[in-house]
Amino acid sequence: MSFEKFINQELTGWMVAEGEHADIVLSTRIRLARNLQDHLFPVCASQEDAAAVDEAVHQAVSKMRDQHFTGTAMVDLTPLQRQILVEKHLVSPQLIDPEKHGSVLLSEDETISIMVNEEDHIRIQCIYPGFQIDEAYELADRVDSEMEKNIDYAFDETFGYLTSCPSNTGTGMRASVMMHLPALTITKQIERIIPAISRLGMVVRGSYGEGSEALGNIYQISNQITLGKSEEEILKDLKSISARLIAHERKSRELLLAKSEVHLENRLFRSLGTLTHARILPSAEAAKCLSDVRLGIDLNIIENIDMSVLNELMIFMQPGYLQQYAGTELTSDERDILRAQLFRDRLKIERSAEPDGDQELS
Amino acid sequence: MLCENCKERPATVVFKQETPTGITERHLCDKCAFYSQTFSFSPGQEPLSIQQFLAHWLGGSELFSEQKADEKLPDGPKCPNCGLTFHRFLDVGKFGCATCYDAFRQQLPRVFAKLHNGHTQHGGKIPVSLNERFALKRKLEDIRTKMREAVEEERFEEAAALRDEANLVKQQLDDGGDDQHVI
Repeated sequence: MSFEKFINQELTGWMVAEGEHADIVLSTRIRLARNLQDHLFPVCASQEDAAAVDEAVHQAVSKMRDQHFTGTAMVDLTPLQRQILVEKHLVSPQLIDPEKHGSVLLSEDETISIMVNEEDHIRIQCIYPGFQIDEAYELADRVDSEMEKNIDYAFDETFGYLTSCPSNTGTGMRASVMMHLPALTITKQIERIIPAISRLGMVVRGSYGEGSEALGNIYQISNQITLGKSEEEILKDLKSISARLIAHERKSRELLLAKSEVHLENRLFRSLGTLTHARILPSAEAAKCLSDVRLGIDLNIIENIDMSVLNELMIFMQPGYLQQYAGTELTSDERDILRAQLFRDRLKIERSAEPDGDQELS
Repeated sequence: MLCENCKERPATVVFKQETPTGITERHLCDKCAFYSQTFSFSPGQEPLSIQQFLAHWLGGSELFSEQKADEKLPDGPKCPNCGLTFHRFLDVGKFGCATCYDAFRQQLPRVFAKLHNGHTQHGGKIPVSLNERFALKRKLEDIRTKMREAVEEERFEEAAALRDEANLVKQQLDDGGDDQHVI
Protein backbone atom coordinates (compact mmCIF):
# COMPACT_ATOMS: atom_id res chain seq x y z
CA MET A 1 0.00 0.00 0.00
CA SER A 2 1.53 3.26 -1.14
CA PHE A 3 0.22 5.22 1.83
CA GLU A 4 2.50 3.34 4.20
CA LYS A 5 5.48 5.46 3.23
CA PHE A 6 3.89 8.38 5.07
CA ILE A 7 3.84 6.32 8.23
CA ASN A 8 7.24 4.72 7.82
CA GLN A 9 8.95 7.91 6.72
CA GLU A 10 9.98 9.16 10.12
CA LEU A 11 10.75 12.79 9.45
CA THR A 12 8.28 15.15 7.96
CA GLY A 13 8.88 18.56 6.39
CA TRP A 14 8.09 20.79 9.36
CA MET A 15 10.44 18.92 11.70
CA VAL A 16 13.58 20.24 10.09
CA ALA A 17 14.86 23.24 11.98
CA GLU A 18 14.74 25.88 9.28
CA GLY A 19 12.75 28.93 8.31
CA GLU A 20 12.85 32.32 9.94
CA HIS A 21 13.38 32.42 13.72
CA ALA A 22 13.77 28.63 13.73
CA ASP A 23 15.44 28.84 17.15
CA ILE A 24 12.14 29.96 18.69
CA VAL A 25 9.40 29.12 16.20
CA LEU A 26 9.14 25.39 15.60
CA SER A 27 6.42 25.42 13.00
CA THR A 28 3.70 27.44 11.32
CA ARG A 29 0.34 25.95 10.44
CA ILE A 30 -2.65 27.17 8.46
CA ARG A 31 -5.92 25.30 8.54
CA LEU A 32 -8.93 26.10 6.40
CA ALA A 33 -12.33 24.59 7.25
CA ARG A 34 -14.66 24.09 4.30
CA ASN A 35 -17.94 22.30 3.69
CA LEU A 36 -19.83 21.12 0.66
CA GLN A 37 -23.21 22.57 -0.17
CA ASP A 38 -26.14 20.16 0.01
CA HIS A 39 -24.58 17.67 2.39
CA LEU A 40 -25.20 17.41 6.14
CA PHE A 41 -22.15 18.35 8.20
CA PRO A 42 -20.15 15.32 9.42
CA VAL A 43 -21.52 15.71 12.96
CA CYS A 44 -24.94 14.46 11.82
CA ALA A 45 -24.20 12.84 8.46
CA SER A 46 -25.20 9.26 7.71
CA GLN A 47 -22.66 6.74 6.52
CA GLU A 48 -23.91 7.17 2.93
CA ASP A 49 -23.62 10.94 3.24
CA ALA A 50 -20.09 10.69 4.54
CA ALA A 51 -19.15 8.31 1.74
CA ALA A 52 -20.62 10.68 -0.87
CA VAL A 53 -18.63 13.61 0.54
CA ASP A 54 -15.50 11.51 0.65
CA GLU A 55 -15.95 10.53 -2.98
CA ALA A 56 -16.61 14.13 -4.08
CA VAL A 57 -13.51 15.44 -2.28
CA HIS A 58 -11.26 12.68 -3.62
CA GLN A 59 -12.56 13.42 -7.13
CA ALA A 60 -11.87 17.13 -6.75
CA VAL A 61 -8.39 16.51 -5.37
CA SER A 62 -7.52 14.12 -8.19
CA LYS A 63 -8.21 16.92 -10.68
CA MET A 64 -5.72 19.27 -9.08
CA ARG A 65 -2.92 20.02 -11.44
CA ASP A 66 0.20 21.03 -9.56
CA GLN A 67 0.01 18.69 -6.59
CA HIS A 68 -0.15 14.94 -6.30
CA PHE A 69 -1.97 13.53 -3.29
CA THR A 70 -2.14 10.07 -1.81
CA GLY A 71 -5.18 9.23 0.25
CA THR A 72 -6.41 6.65 2.67
CA ALA A 73 -9.48 6.04 4.78
CA MET A 74 -8.85 5.95 8.51
CA VAL A 75 -10.49 2.51 8.78
CA ASP A 76 -7.83 1.07 6.48
CA LEU A 77 -5.10 1.92 8.98
CA THR A 78 -4.27 0.17 12.23
CA PRO A 79 -4.80 2.16 15.45
CA LEU A 80 -1.00 2.52 15.76
CA GLN A 81 -0.67 3.85 12.21
CA ARG A 82 -3.44 6.36 12.90
CA GLN A 83 -1.70 7.47 16.07
CA ILE A 84 1.55 8.03 14.18
CA LEU A 85 -0.23 10.33 11.74
CA VAL A 86 -1.51 12.32 14.73
CA GLU A 87 1.95 12.45 16.29
CA LYS A 88 3.37 13.75 13.01
CA HIS A 89 0.62 16.41 13.13
CA LEU A 90 -0.58 15.24 9.71
CA VAL A 91 -4.10 14.54 10.95
CA SER A 92 -6.03 15.77 13.99
CA PRO A 93 -6.91 13.46 16.88
CA GLN A 94 -10.60 13.99 16.01
CA LEU A 95 -10.18 12.52 12.52
CA ILE A 96 -9.05 9.13 13.74
CA ASP A 97 -12.34 8.46 15.56
CA PRO A 98 -13.28 5.15 13.87
CA GLU A 99 -16.98 6.06 13.77
CA LYS A 100 -16.35 9.12 11.63
CA HIS A 101 -15.54 7.59 8.22
CA GLY A 102 -12.70 10.06 8.00
CA SER A 103 -9.98 9.99 5.40
CA VAL A 104 -6.87 11.97 4.62
CA LEU A 105 -5.05 13.04 1.47
CA LEU A 106 -1.38 13.91 1.82
CA SER A 107 0.91 15.72 -0.59
CA GLU A 108 4.19 14.02 -1.50
CA ASP A 109 6.28 16.12 0.90
CA GLU A 110 3.62 15.93 3.67
CA THR A 111 3.31 19.72 3.76
CA ILE A 112 -0.35 19.65 2.75
CA SER A 113 -2.89 17.43 4.40
CA ILE A 114 -6.55 17.42 3.40
CA MET A 115 -8.75 15.84 6.03
CA VAL A 116 -12.18 14.64 4.97
CA ASN A 117 -15.12 14.25 7.36
CA GLU A 118 -13.42 15.61 10.42
CA GLU A 119 -15.58 18.21 12.16
CA ASP A 120 -16.08 19.78 8.74
CA HIS A 121 -16.26 18.04 5.35
CA ILE A 122 -12.86 19.42 4.37
CA ARG A 123 -9.94 20.68 6.39
CA ILE A 124 -6.97 21.87 4.41
CA GLN A 125 -3.85 22.02 6.51
CA CYS A 126 -0.40 23.31 5.58
CA ILE A 127 2.55 23.04 7.94
CA TYR A 128 5.91 24.71 7.41
CA PRO A 129 8.98 24.68 9.60
CA GLY A 130 9.90 27.91 11.39
CA PHE A 131 8.11 31.22 11.07
CA GLN A 132 6.56 31.11 7.59
CA ILE A 133 3.04 32.42 7.99
CA ASP A 134 2.68 33.97 4.54
CA GLU A 135 4.19 30.98 2.76
CA ALA A 136 1.90 28.55 4.59
CA TYR A 137 -1.18 30.65 3.86
CA GLU A 138 -0.27 31.11 0.23
CA LEU A 139 -0.10 27.35 -0.23
CA ALA A 140 -3.33 26.65 1.69
CA ASP A 141 -5.09 29.38 -0.28
CA ARG A 142 -3.87 27.91 -3.56
CA VAL A 143 -5.10 24.43 -2.66
CA ASP A 144 -8.41 25.92 -1.55
CA SER A 145 -8.86 27.87 -4.79
CA GLU A 146 -8.03 24.79 -6.85
CA MET A 147 -10.54 22.70 -4.88
CA GLU A 148 -13.18 25.34 -5.33
CA LYS A 149 -13.07 24.87 -9.10
CA ASN A 150 -14.36 21.34 -8.72
CA ILE A 151 -16.55 21.59 -5.61
CA ASP A 152 -19.38 23.89 -4.49
CA TYR A 153 -18.52 25.15 -1.05
CA ALA A 154 -21.16 26.10 1.50
CA PHE A 155 -20.78 29.89 1.54
CA ASP A 156 -23.01 32.76 2.59
CA GLU A 157 -22.59 36.42 1.62
CA THR A 158 -23.05 37.54 5.23
CA PHE A 159 -21.45 34.74 7.21
CA GLY A 160 -18.72 33.64 4.80
CA TYR A 161 -17.62 30.00 4.76
CA LEU A 162 -20.18 27.98 6.67
CA THR A 163 -18.60 25.65 9.18
CA SER A 164 -19.86 23.12 11.65
CA CYS A 165 -18.64 25.09 14.66
CA PRO A 166 -19.61 28.78 14.92
CA SER A 167 -16.12 29.54 16.20
CA ASN A 168 -14.77 28.84 12.67
CA THR A 169 -17.45 30.62 10.61
CA GLY A 170 -16.23 33.31 8.23
CA THR A 171 -12.77 32.61 6.93
CA GLY A 172 -12.72 29.10 8.43
CA MET A 173 -9.06 29.81 8.99
CA ARG A 174 -6.97 28.95 11.99
CA ALA A 175 -3.39 30.16 11.70
CA SER A 176 -0.99 29.09 14.37
CA VAL A 177 2.66 29.23 15.28
CA MET A 178 4.28 26.82 17.68
CA MET A 179 6.86 28.54 19.81
CA HIS A 180 9.47 27.49 22.32
CA LEU A 181 9.39 30.11 25.07
CA PRO A 182 11.54 28.83 27.93
CA ALA A 183 12.94 32.18 29.09
CA LEU A 184 9.50 33.79 29.28
CA THR A 185 8.33 30.76 31.23
CA ILE A 186 11.32 30.61 33.61
CA THR A 187 11.00 34.33 34.35
CA LYS A 188 7.22 33.88 34.76
CA GLN A 189 6.51 36.69 32.31
CA ILE A 190 4.32 34.36 30.28
CA GLU A 191 1.69 34.60 33.01
CA ARG A 192 1.17 38.27 32.23
CA ILE A 193 1.50 37.85 28.49
CA ILE A 194 -1.12 35.13 27.96
CA PRO A 195 -4.13 37.13 29.21
CA ALA A 196 -2.95 40.18 27.24
CA ILE A 197 -2.73 38.17 24.03
CA SER A 198 -6.18 36.68 24.64
CA ARG A 199 -7.61 40.17 24.69
CA LEU A 200 -6.21 40.75 21.19
CA GLY A 201 -8.34 37.97 19.75
CA MET A 202 -5.57 35.37 19.83
CA VAL A 203 -5.37 32.16 21.81
CA VAL A 204 -2.31 30.85 23.56
CA ARG A 205 -2.31 27.27 24.62
CA GLY A 206 0.26 24.78 25.63
CA SER A 207 0.94 22.34 22.88
CA TYR A 208 2.98 19.22 22.81
CA GLY A 209 2.13 16.73 20.12
CA GLU A 210 -1.42 18.05 19.74
CA GLY A 211 -2.00 17.22 23.37
CA SER A 212 -3.51 19.36 26.02
CA GLU A 213 -0.45 19.74 28.18
CA ALA A 214 1.85 22.74 27.97
CA LEU A 215 4.89 20.53 28.27
CA GLY A 216 8.37 21.49 27.24
CA ASN A 217 7.63 25.23 27.33
CA ILE A 218 6.06 24.96 23.91
CA TYR A 219 3.13 27.24 23.26
CA GLN A 220 0.82 27.52 20.33
CA ILE A 221 -0.42 30.97 19.39
CA SER A 222 -3.39 31.11 17.05
CA ASN A 223 -6.22 33.38 15.98
CA GLN A 224 -9.51 33.02 17.80
CA ILE A 225 -11.53 35.30 15.54
CA THR A 226 -12.50 34.05 12.09
CA LEU A 227 -15.39 36.39 11.32
CA GLY A 228 -15.21 40.06 10.37
CA LYS A 229 -11.53 40.17 9.51
CA SER A 230 -9.90 39.23 6.24
CA GLU A 231 -7.32 36.45 6.11
CA GLU A 232 -4.62 39.05 5.55
CA GLU A 233 -5.66 41.04 8.63
CA ILE A 234 -5.72 37.92 10.78
CA LEU A 235 -2.26 36.89 9.55
CA LYS A 236 -0.93 40.40 10.07
CA ASP A 237 -2.13 40.39 13.68
CA LEU A 238 -0.65 36.96 14.30
CA LYS A 239 2.65 37.99 12.73
CA SER A 240 2.89 41.13 14.81
CA ILE A 241 2.09 39.32 18.08
CA SER A 242 4.51 36.50 17.23
CA ALA A 243 7.26 38.96 16.38
CA ARG A 244 6.76 40.72 19.70
CA LEU A 245 6.84 37.42 21.57
CA ILE A 246 10.04 36.39 19.76
CA ALA A 247 11.71 39.69 20.62
CA HIS A 248 10.55 39.41 24.21
CA GLU A 249 11.82 35.84 24.50
CA ARG A 250 15.23 36.82 23.11
CA LYS A 251 15.52 39.69 25.55
CA SER A 252 14.59 37.43 28.46
CA ARG A 253 17.23 34.92 27.34
CA GLU A 254 19.89 37.62 27.32
CA LEU A 255 18.78 38.75 30.74
CA LEU A 256 18.85 35.22 32.15
CA LEU A 257 22.31 34.71 30.77
CA ALA A 258 23.57 38.01 32.12
CA LYS A 259 22.10 37.62 35.58
CA SER A 260 22.61 33.97 36.40
CA GLU A 261 24.82 32.29 33.84
CA VAL A 262 26.17 29.59 36.14
CA HIS A 263 22.75 28.66 37.47
CA LEU A 264 21.36 28.55 33.97
CA GLU A 265 24.29 26.45 32.70
CA ASN A 266 23.85 24.13 35.65
CA ARG A 267 20.22 23.57 34.82
CA LEU A 268 20.78 23.08 31.09
CA PHE A 269 23.71 20.68 31.49
CA ARG A 270 21.86 18.67 34.13
CA SER A 271 19.06 18.23 31.63
CA LEU A 272 21.52 17.17 28.96
CA GLY A 273 22.92 14.71 31.50
CA THR A 274 19.47 13.27 32.08
CA LEU A 275 18.80 12.85 28.38
CA THR A 276 22.17 11.22 27.70
CA HIS A 277 22.32 9.00 30.80
CA ALA A 278 18.85 8.23 32.14
CA ARG A 279 17.65 4.63 32.04
CA ILE A 280 13.99 5.51 32.59
CA LEU A 281 12.64 8.63 30.95
CA PRO A 282 8.97 9.57 31.41
CA SER A 283 7.56 11.85 28.70
CA ALA A 284 7.07 14.89 30.97
CA GLU A 285 10.69 14.77 32.08
CA ALA A 286 11.89 14.19 28.53
CA ALA A 287 9.93 17.23 27.36
CA LYS A 288 11.33 19.43 30.12
CA CYS A 289 14.91 18.31 29.45
CA LEU A 290 14.49 18.71 25.69
CA SER A 291 13.35 22.27 26.30
CA ASP A 292 16.44 22.97 28.41
CA VAL A 293 18.83 21.42 25.87
CA ARG A 294 17.16 23.36 23.08
CA LEU A 295 17.69 26.56 25.04
CA GLY A 296 21.30 25.52 25.69
CA ILE A 297 21.91 25.13 21.96
CA ASP A 298 20.25 28.46 21.17
CA LEU A 299 22.46 30.22 23.72
CA ASN A 300 25.62 28.45 22.45
CA ILE A 301 26.06 26.87 25.87
CA ILE A 302 25.55 23.34 24.54
CA GLU A 303 27.38 22.51 21.34
CA ASN A 304 27.56 19.69 18.82
CA ILE A 305 23.89 18.87 18.76
CA ASP A 306 21.87 19.74 15.72
CA MET A 307 18.49 21.33 16.39
CA SER A 308 16.82 18.98 13.89
CA VAL A 309 17.77 16.08 16.14
CA LEU A 310 15.83 17.67 18.98
CA ASN A 311 12.81 18.16 16.71
CA GLU A 312 13.10 14.50 15.75
CA LEU A 313 13.30 13.37 19.35
CA MET A 314 10.32 15.54 20.25
CA ILE A 315 8.27 13.46 17.84
CA PHE A 316 9.89 10.10 18.45
CA MET A 317 9.39 10.28 22.20
CA GLN A 318 5.62 9.93 21.73
CA PRO A 319 3.85 6.64 22.43
CA GLY A 320 2.91 5.79 18.83
CA TYR A 321 6.39 6.28 17.49
CA LEU A 322 8.01 4.37 20.32
CA GLN A 323 5.75 1.41 19.68
CA GLN A 324 6.35 1.53 15.96
CA TYR A 325 10.11 1.66 16.63
CA ALA A 326 9.81 -1.32 18.97
CA GLY A 327 7.54 -3.12 16.54
CA THR A 328 5.22 -4.12 19.35
CA GLU A 329 2.81 -2.73 21.91
CA LEU A 330 4.48 -1.43 25.04
CA THR A 331 3.35 -0.69 28.57
CA SER A 332 3.92 2.80 29.94
CA ASP A 333 6.96 1.60 31.90
CA GLU A 334 8.42 -0.14 28.87
CA ARG A 335 7.95 3.03 26.86
CA ASP A 336 9.85 5.07 29.47
CA ILE A 337 12.77 2.62 29.26
CA LEU A 338 12.78 2.58 25.46
CA ARG A 339 12.52 6.37 25.37
CA ALA A 340 15.60 6.64 27.59
CA GLN A 341 17.50 4.25 25.32
CA LEU A 342 16.45 6.11 22.20
CA PHE A 343 17.60 9.46 23.62
CA ARG A 344 20.92 8.00 24.77
CA ASP A 345 21.60 6.43 21.38
CA ARG A 346 20.56 9.42 19.31
CA LEU A 347 22.41 12.01 21.39
CA LYS A 348 25.50 9.80 21.69
CA ILE A 349 25.80 9.67 17.92
CA GLU A 350 25.40 13.42 17.78
CA ARG A 351 27.97 14.15 20.45
CA SER A 352 30.53 11.55 19.40
CA ALA A 353 32.30 14.20 17.32
CA GLU A 354 32.66 16.40 20.38
CA PRO A 355 36.02 16.47 22.19
CA ASP A 356 35.89 15.50 25.83
CA GLY A 357 34.21 18.43 27.51
CA ASP A 358 35.66 18.22 31.02
CA GLN A 359 39.23 19.16 30.13
CA GLU A 360 38.87 22.62 31.59
CA LEU A 361 39.05 21.10 35.08
CA SER A 362 42.70 20.15 34.71
CA MET B 1 -16.79 12.09 41.44
CA LEU B 2 -18.50 14.61 39.18
CA CYS B 3 -16.73 16.45 36.35
CA GLU B 4 -15.25 19.69 37.70
CA ASN B 5 -16.22 21.49 34.55
CA CYS B 6 -19.85 20.60 33.74
CA LYS B 7 -20.66 19.16 37.17
CA GLU B 8 -23.11 16.86 35.42
CA ARG B 9 -21.30 13.82 34.11
CA PRO B 10 -18.95 11.58 36.07
CA ALA B 11 -15.26 12.52 35.89
CA THR B 12 -13.38 9.94 33.83
CA VAL B 13 -10.22 11.79 32.83
CA VAL B 14 -7.49 13.40 34.88
CA PHE B 15 -6.48 16.48 32.96
CA LYS B 16 -2.99 17.69 33.79
CA GLN B 17 -1.91 21.07 32.64
CA GLU B 18 1.45 22.70 33.19
CA THR B 19 0.97 26.35 33.95
CA PRO B 20 3.79 28.69 34.79
CA THR B 21 2.83 28.32 38.46
CA GLY B 22 3.03 24.52 38.43
CA ILE B 23 1.02 21.54 37.26
CA THR B 24 -2.72 21.77 37.81
CA GLU B 25 -4.85 18.67 37.89
CA ARG B 26 -8.49 18.63 36.93
CA HIS B 27 -10.97 15.79 36.92
CA LEU B 28 -13.14 15.98 33.84
CA CYS B 29 -15.66 13.90 31.94
CA ASP B 30 -14.76 12.70 28.43
CA LYS B 31 -16.73 15.43 26.77
CA CYS B 32 -15.30 18.36 28.73
CA ALA B 33 -11.79 16.94 28.46
CA PHE B 34 -12.21 16.78 24.70
CA TYR B 35 -13.59 20.26 24.30
CA SER B 36 -11.30 21.94 26.77
CA GLN B 37 -8.48 21.38 24.26
CA THR B 38 -10.00 23.78 21.81
CA PHE B 39 -9.97 26.81 24.05
CA SER B 40 -7.27 28.94 25.49
CA PHE B 41 -5.96 28.51 28.94
CA SER B 42 -4.46 31.14 31.08
CA PRO B 43 -3.55 31.08 34.73
CA GLY B 44 -6.67 31.48 36.78
CA GLN B 45 -8.92 31.04 33.80
CA GLU B 46 -10.87 27.83 33.38
CA PRO B 47 -11.06 26.41 29.88
CA LEU B 48 -14.54 26.72 28.43
CA SER B 49 -16.23 24.39 26.03
CA ILE B 50 -18.06 25.86 23.07
CA GLN B 51 -21.32 24.63 24.58
CA GLN B 52 -20.67 26.35 27.87
CA PHE B 53 -19.55 29.39 26.03
CA LEU B 54 -22.80 29.57 24.14
CA ALA B 55 -24.94 28.60 27.09
CA HIS B 56 -23.38 30.90 29.67
CA TRP B 57 -21.73 33.80 27.91
CA LEU B 58 -24.40 34.25 25.34
CA GLY B 59 -27.09 33.66 27.91
CA GLY B 60 -28.54 30.77 25.96
CA SER B 61 -31.03 30.06 28.69
CA GLU B 62 -32.08 33.68 28.66
CA LEU B 63 -32.73 33.58 24.92
CA PHE B 64 -34.57 30.39 25.36
CA SER B 65 -36.70 31.74 28.17
CA GLU B 66 -37.60 34.79 26.08
CA GLN B 67 -38.90 32.44 23.48
CA LYS B 68 -40.61 30.30 26.06
CA ALA B 69 -42.46 33.32 27.39
CA ASP B 70 -43.59 33.84 23.85
CA GLU B 71 -44.85 30.25 23.85
CA LYS B 72 -44.85 30.12 20.08
CA LEU B 73 -41.44 28.65 19.50
CA PRO B 74 -40.30 26.80 22.58
CA ASP B 75 -37.21 25.51 20.80
CA GLY B 76 -36.62 28.57 18.67
CA PRO B 77 -36.42 28.21 14.90
CA LYS B 78 -35.86 24.77 13.42
CA CYS B 79 -33.69 23.92 10.44
CA PRO B 80 -35.93 22.47 7.71
CA ASN B 81 -33.04 20.46 6.29
CA CYS B 82 -31.46 18.66 9.24
CA GLY B 83 -34.10 19.28 11.93
CA LEU B 84 -31.75 20.99 14.41
CA THR B 85 -33.55 23.50 16.65
CA PHE B 86 -31.87 26.70 17.78
CA HIS B 87 -32.08 25.55 21.37
CA ARG B 88 -30.36 22.29 20.50
CA PHE B 89 -27.72 24.25 18.57
CA LEU B 90 -26.94 26.25 21.71
CA ASP B 91 -26.72 22.99 23.60
CA VAL B 92 -24.37 21.11 21.26
CA GLY B 93 -22.55 24.16 19.92
CA LYS B 94 -22.48 22.84 16.35
CA PHE B 95 -24.57 23.42 13.23
CA GLY B 96 -26.03 20.37 11.50
CA CYS B 97 -25.80 21.68 7.95
CA ALA B 98 -25.41 24.83 5.86
CA THR B 99 -29.18 25.45 5.91
CA CYS B 100 -29.04 25.95 9.71
CA TYR B 101 -27.37 29.29 9.03
CA ASP B 102 -30.47 30.36 7.08
CA ALA B 103 -32.87 28.99 9.64
CA PHE B 104 -31.15 30.80 12.54
CA ARG B 105 -30.21 33.91 10.56
CA GLN B 106 -31.99 36.29 12.96
CA GLN B 107 -30.38 34.82 16.07
CA LEU B 108 -26.86 34.38 14.72
CA PRO B 109 -25.47 37.93 14.84
CA ARG B 110 -25.76 37.76 18.61
CA VAL B 111 -23.97 34.43 18.75
CA PHE B 112 -21.20 35.58 16.43
CA ALA B 113 -20.75 38.95 18.15
CA LYS B 114 -19.92 37.11 21.36
CA LEU B 115 -17.61 34.60 19.68
CA HIS B 116 -15.81 36.96 17.33
CA ASN B 117 -15.21 40.16 19.31
CA GLY B 118 -18.33 41.93 18.10
CA HIS B 119 -17.97 40.93 14.45
CA THR B 120 -21.05 39.55 12.69
CA GLN B 121 -20.16 39.76 9.00
CA HIS B 122 -17.60 37.96 6.91
CA GLY B 123 -14.81 40.17 5.61
CA GLY B 124 -12.46 37.67 4.00
CA LYS B 125 -12.02 35.45 0.98
CA ILE B 126 -14.96 34.78 -1.31
CA PRO B 127 -15.10 31.76 -3.62
CA VAL B 128 -14.56 33.18 -7.09
CA SER B 129 -16.75 30.60 -8.72
CA LEU B 130 -19.60 31.35 -6.34
CA ASN B 131 -20.04 35.02 -6.68
CA GLU B 132 -17.77 37.31 -8.65
CA ARG B 133 -20.34 40.08 -8.39
CA PHE B 134 -20.31 39.94 -4.61
CA ALA B 135 -16.53 40.16 -4.65
CA LEU B 136 -16.75 43.29 -6.81
CA LYS B 137 -19.27 44.88 -4.44
CA ARG B 138 -17.00 44.15 -1.51
CA LYS B 139 -14.02 45.58 -3.41
CA LEU B 140 -15.99 48.73 -4.17
CA GLU B 141 -16.86 49.16 -0.49
CA ASP B 142 -13.20 48.72 0.46
CA ILE B 143 -12.05 51.31 -2.07
CA ARG B 144 -14.69 53.78 -0.89
CA THR B 145 -13.64 53.35 2.75
CA LYS B 146 -10.01 53.98 1.81
CA MET B 147 -11.12 56.97 -0.26
CA ARG B 148 -12.98 58.51 2.71
CA GLU B 149 -9.92 57.99 4.92
CA ALA B 150 -7.71 59.63 2.31
CA VAL B 151 -10.02 62.66 2.06
CA GLU B 152 -10.20 62.99 5.85
CA GLU B 153 -6.43 62.92 6.05
CA GLU B 154 -6.19 65.36 3.14
CA ARG B 155 -4.30 62.94 0.89
CA PHE B 156 -6.18 64.23 -2.13
CA GLU B 157 -4.01 62.75 -4.86
CA GLU B 158 -4.45 59.29 -3.41
CA ALA B 159 -8.20 59.93 -3.02
CA ALA B 160 -8.47 60.86 -6.68
CA ALA B 161 -6.68 57.68 -7.73
CA LEU B 162 -9.00 55.65 -5.50
CA ARG B 163 -12.01 57.43 -7.03
CA ASP B 164 -10.87 56.36 -10.51
CA GLU B 165 -10.38 52.82 -9.28
CA ALA B 166 -13.87 52.84 -7.74
CA ASN B 167 -15.37 54.06 -11.00
CA LEU B 168 -13.68 51.21 -12.86
CA VAL B 169 -15.09 48.63 -10.45
CA LYS B 170 -18.51 50.27 -10.61
CA GLN B 171 -18.39 50.08 -14.40
CA GLN B 172 -17.56 46.37 -14.16
CA LEU B 173 -20.55 45.90 -11.85
CA ASP B 174 -22.86 47.84 -14.17
CA ASP B 175 -21.68 45.72 -17.09
CA GLY B 176 -22.88 42.62 -15.33
CA GLY B 177 -19.73 42.10 -13.32
CA ASP B 178 -19.14 38.43 -13.31
CA ASP B 179 -20.09 37.67 -16.92
CA GLN B 180 -16.67 38.38 -18.31
CA HIS B 181 -15.00 36.28 -15.64
CA VAL B 182 -17.20 33.21 -15.88
CA ILE B 183 -15.45 31.97 -18.99
